Amino acid sequence: MSQFRAKTLDIGGYVNKWIIRDHTKRKVVAEYETERQSLRYIIRNTSLPQRMRAQAQLQLSQMHCYTRPTQVKNRCIMGGKGRGVLSDFRMGRFQFRMNALAGNIPGVKKASW
Amino acid sequence: MSVPRARILALLKTQCTIFNTTYNPNRLRLGNKILRQRLKGPSITNYYPPRIRVVQELKKAYPDWEVEDEKEDERVEGLKIKRQRGKGAPKKRRTAAESKKLLKRRPGQARPAAATPAA
Repeated sequence: MSQFRAKTLDIGGYVNKWIIRDHTKRKVVAEYETERQSLRYIIRNTSLPQRMRAQAQLQLSQMHCYTRPTQVKNRCIMGGKGRGVLSDFRMGRFQFRMNALAGNIPGVKKASW
Repeated sequence: MSVPRARILALLKTQCTIFNTTYNPNRLRLGNKILRQRLKGPSITNYYPPRIRVVQELKKAYPDWEVEDEKEDERVEGLKIKRQRGKGAPKKRRTAAESKKLLKRRPGQARPAAATPAA
């Protein structure tokens, strides 16, 4: 959502609208993480009054969807692809192959035996 | 050989103080597992590489120093040349009427009524 988006571009590398959106979500998730966790704690704590827990549930469900950590998706930092991304290298499978063969990724070598 | 319950509870209590955990002999659900979780925010936000603009950051860090920005200088130079050739951006219109009057007619666009020649 535009209210969360940075006014100036703050990420380098490959940029498209999906990457900008995902980056915005990541920042919002980080910002509201403590609030969400505290609400989650209130909900899970059975020693607290039932009314308070119900209110916390309502509050958590009414938070913006960008604050939810499940909204974040790992995308390829080289080409923006959302599928087939190797999370260890933050790259799509084909970008990973090209970069690995070119020797740009330290410690990665084509297997041969 | 049976150990009295009170003794076991005392043992649990000391165990909790040593390992810094919550003393909860009745095994109530207190939601402490959520408090124990690490905050994932910093690692989540660091996923994409940051944008590094050396010249701008240097300028910001040292406002009194003169930092040469080649790209910006080139752009300003190009603008100057364009303006000399009359290819610069049009002047900003202040009022709605002024902007309408100077609007260029594009093909396929109907002519405004005032501008049509009387025939």
